[in-house]
Amino acid sequence: MNGNPPAEGPTVNTVLGPVPASELGVISVHEALLSVVPGAEHAFDVTIDRAEIFEALAAKLRDFRGHGGGTIVDSTGMFHGRDVRLLEALSRATGVHIVASTGMGPEELLGGYFLTPQTNPPTPWPAEKFADLFGKEVTEGMVVPRVERRGAAGLVTTTATREGMTATDESLFRGAAHAAVSTGVPVSIRFGADAVHDLEIVLDEGLPAGRVVVGGLDRTDAYAAGWPLAVARRGAYVALDHVGTEGDGHVSDAERAALVAELVESGHGDRVLLSIGTPGVSKGEPTRDLTPEQPWSHLLTTFVPLLKTRGLSDEDVQRIVVDNPRDLLTVGPHAAHEQEVA
Amino acid sequence: MPRVNTVLGPIPTEELGLVAVHEHIGYGMPGSELDTRWWKTPEERYDETVPKLRQFHEYGGGTFVDATGICNGRDVNYYQSLSEKTGVHIVASTGFVGGDTALPFFARATVDYLAAHFTHEITVGIGNTGGKAGIIKVGVSRGGRMTDLDKRIYRAAARAALATGVPVLTHLAIDAENAIAIFTEEGLPLDRVLFGHVDDGVNADKTRDTWIADQGGRIGFDTFGYETELPDPPFWARPRKERLEHFLRFIGEGRLHQVLASADANCSPLGWPGVEGHTVNYIFEDLIPDLRAAGLDEAAIRTIFVDNPASFLSIAN
Ligand SMILES: [Zn+2]
Repeated sequence: MNGNPPAEGPTVNTVLGPVPASELGVISVHEALLSVVPGAEHAFDVTIDRAEIFEALAAKLRDFRGHGGGTIVDSTGMFHGRDVRLLEALSRATGVHIVASTGMGPEELLGGYFLTPQTNPPTPWPAEKFADLFGKEVTEGMVVPRVERRGAAGLVTTTATREGMTATDESLFRGAAHAAVSTGVPVSIRFGADAVHDLEIVLDEGLPAGRVVVGGLDRTDAYAAGWPLAVARRGAYVALDHVGTEGDGHVSDAERAALVAELVESGHGDRVLLSIGTPGVSKGEPTRDLTPEQPWSHLLTTFVPLLKTRGLSDEDVQRIVVDNPRDLLTVGPHAAHEQEVA
Repeated sequence: MPRVNTVLGPIPTEELGLVAVHEHIGYGMPGSELDTRWWKTPEERYDETVPKLRQFHEYGGGTFVDATGICNGRDVNYYQSLSEKTGVHIVASTGFVGGDTALPFFARATVDYLAAHFTHEITVGIGNTGGKAGIIKVGVSRGGRMTDLDKRIYRAAARAALATGVPVLTHLAIDAENAIAIFTEEGLPLDRVLFGHVDDGVNADKTRDTWIADQGGRIGFDTFGYETELPDPPFWARPRKERLEHFLRFIGEGRLHQVLASADANCSPLGWPGVEGHTVNYIFEDLIPDLRAAGLDEAAIRTIFVDNPASFLSIAN
């Protein structure tokens, strides 16, 4: 089913099969290739032309690669437009490694199957069932709904409700953590109202902090609360994953660069991750219909030079855009990260 | 000329024949498609479905109304192939089984958008299948009371029904005061609404069937066959005799022209195990014989299964 020979040594699950971790190059860790609001695929005024979508995404991926990009992580999970066969074709056509994700959330984005099942009473799914659903997407392959399984998911992703984690969000977080512990892939969480609280939920399942990336830490509320540093101290990865977005509840690139410099200076350079977080193609969210022509190369063309002006060395940058995400994505048993810097 | 939208195009009302007014080719909660435990090959799906439809046709069944809403595994080009190959007319639904089966894109939508979507599926078609919806499905979410989203869907359905002439079919008839208030505010005559599942085992006691009928609504005894006598009955099952007596009592009070009856069976369930031994053909194999045994004449049976559905399903202009 995939074109790669069995890989030796540490590997990462891509849509074309396991790839040696050393081959990933520059990695953008929290992206969305095709993003579809659940249900929009049925809407009378939403057109999903896969050939057109392929063309648009291939151009953006080639642009990313042309500027030195190696790997894109599609962290939309299993129920927000993920189209595994499209991702495979894109990776083959552009040479960009694509890592796809399992998982879902927050509660509002789930289907009724998980929230009001045909039982009396209709009790929402518990963590163990989510763990099983997500885990099988790693061990048996990602689903093409009602058709087949394809390659293994490279990470488990979930999100908490912005106003605060709901009971079902907590089941999703615990289930995601459990799936990660049993399969060796990492967990990506996007926090709701409290980054540290939400991180503690997945750690409580026995997942080492070094197997977790916390997204959205360049939100203004996260910045104001000091959560990027708190998350790094706890040993998890800090994703500043809206690079290029200013306003709309996010800090500016200047503030973002200052934050990276601060994390590096305080000894947390091995915990920082960067990403753009702008969907390549978005369906069902009118405000995001117009996506930029070159979303993902901005990281390398504009933001990395900005980091250099803040005093980051080439080694620092290499660590942030290559080594850190590679270590995060590498599949396998991982020892707990021992960092607890005062 | 009175007509009805089927998945293969409009047909004259005269062609409907005996109608099973609330059935499912296959139903699954949204998201169930992600869980491989329910997956079936296309061979299995046709294998479970075609013999039931052929049997329905051979018994004299004319039309199968599929009450599966958007996001519940509704699969119109599959229905088109089934209809074409078996000769059974299949009417598809627009709308939702309940707010809790509407995915986020629709859950966030306004009443105007929902009404435009339903209208499009009735007048232009569903997706790129060319098949047009012949009925609008609405319903009450789990929990027994209409949610805000349920109410938005009911209101949009009323507007689309008025704009297109296609009728509305409800999943559950509990909390009917709220439903009727919405239909009345929107100006939809209540004989364009079938208040379904008044006979279901969980809700029959809480459903004001005679009150709804007094307001002019049509009443659906449409979970016939979900019986506690089954080897593995679902939680909404009810003793066979109790349901039949409820139905006979109801039509005995002069309401024969307001009732419709169906089995709400799945030919091949999509996201749940289904109920072993329960099919649309309960109508022929059990229900009609029971009604005859209870003394109903052929004219009354024709009223329930042919004339009432024809008047309900005909596009009103
Ligand atoms: Zn039904």
